Amino acid sequence: MTGSGTQDVAGRRTIVVTGATGGVGRGIAIACGEAGWSVWIAARREREGLAVAEEVTTAGGVGHFVACDAGDPTSVEHAIATVLAQDGRIDGVCHNATSGLSPVPVALSEVSLADFQDHVNVALRAAWALARSCHDALAATRGSMLILTSEAGFEGKAKLPPYAGVKGAQRGFARALAREWGRDGIRVNALAPLASTPAMETAFELDPAMASRVLNRNPLGRLGDATEDIGRAARFLLSDDARYVSGHTLMVDGGSCPAI
Amino acid sequence: MPAERPLLLATDADATHALAKGLDAELHALPSPSRPEVFEGWRAEVLTGAPRRAIVVAPWRTEVEADRLDALDLERWKTRFELPFLLWCFALGAAGRRCADGGAIVALAQTPAALDAPGLTPELAIGDGVLSLVRSVAAAEGARGVRANLVTTPIGLVGPDVIAPTPPLAGFPGRVESHLIGAVRMLLSPDAAGLTGRAVSADGGRSL
Repeated sequence: MTGSGTQDVAGRRTIVVTGATGGVGRGIAIACGEAGWSVWIAARREREGLAVAEEVTTAGGVGHFVACDAGDPTSVEHAIATVLAQDGRIDGVCHNATSGLSPVPVALSEVSLADFQDHVNVALRAAWALARSCHDALAATRGSMLILTSEAGFEGKAKLPPYAGVKGAQRGFARALAREWGRDGIRVNALAPLASTPAMETAFELDPAMASRVLNRNPLGRLGDATEDIGRAARFLLSDDARYVSGHTLMVDGGSCPAI
Repeated sequence: MPAERPLLLATDADATHALAKGLDAELHALPSPSRPEVFEGWRAEVLTGAPRRAIVVAPWRTEVEADRLDALDLERWKTRFELPFLLWCFALGAAGRRCADGGAIVALAQTPAALDAPGLTPELAIGDGVLSLVRSVAAAEGARGVRANLVTTPIGLVGPDVIAPTPPLAGFPGRVESHLIGAVRMLLSPDAAGLTGRAVSADGGRSL
């Protein structure tokens, strides 16, 4: 089982996952539950969040829901305060939430300011707010921050440029923060998944040629499973097994991205 | 018939004036990053112009004060990351659309090397985000023969005194005239006909 050095008296780590009501975030939450961790589903949708928390508990962990609008720094601050008030510690923060506009094709020359800002708010402003709210708690546990980026953040996307832009920015954010926080004992990493998710299905519906583009170049010939393929890799980066891994972007994409 | 001058989409700064002079470029001012409400109108105005064979995008910044990320309040976060990055999105969107078939775009981004990133998390985030945007433009416009590449520089972000190891080349962090203009000119030229979606770090080897 992963993790050992910094658990609470019950042998339990506390992890916060944003945007975990479905898709990759849900998979990460359940995978962390398999390790027996306390997992907080930080999301806007309470009913779906409580359902995933129940799945975490069923998997062997302790699942919780906390209301969190990732693009709103005040909401992020309140969510982190709630976690600390109940668990008294945070060992890992995983920022997975992404704009609802992520799978919507658009030309870079036609994106509105409001839509750009929505991408930036959920991807980057949330990362900043989480970092600001969690630094002291993560320093106390020598914990880690994990940011979900994308292969789009390496190679760009002709039809999804705002998404690609913020995903690239998240990589730089993680690379830099790892160097800034290393002296505090905090690790910062990123993970670029390729998974079968509702968002991916939506993207395939909006751009029918996308499915062949995505799968034809994938050596393993399939999309990843959100829990078994992506979630467990994320759990590794959040665990003490990765205690010497920082500033890294782990591609969990079946070898798909040719930019590496 | 004289060669067409490059179009330089840049903020008003000594560095961009030096860039315009060195490239013999026509400088078209970018809006201030602090005025996002005018970004859409600026882009629409730029797109009314005739196609250009060579476009350089350089939203240059002059007042960047390094600080820990967790010490930034929301206003400083917006000033350091969000507003400059949004301006990049609009500037590159305009450049991609306005570039003539077979033309070239070069983005010039101030980006620290990873070694020098502590205190400059927003700026490294912008640098990696811009690279992804440039690659998006390269992918979207490549069918028209348009190339898009990136030059990065630490000028304006870090001084000459940095942690070990010493940068391989002397003169760190470099000068616009001697270290940037040549890299931009090369990527604009036919000599770079097979290059697109690439990043050249004009930082004396600091980011190796």
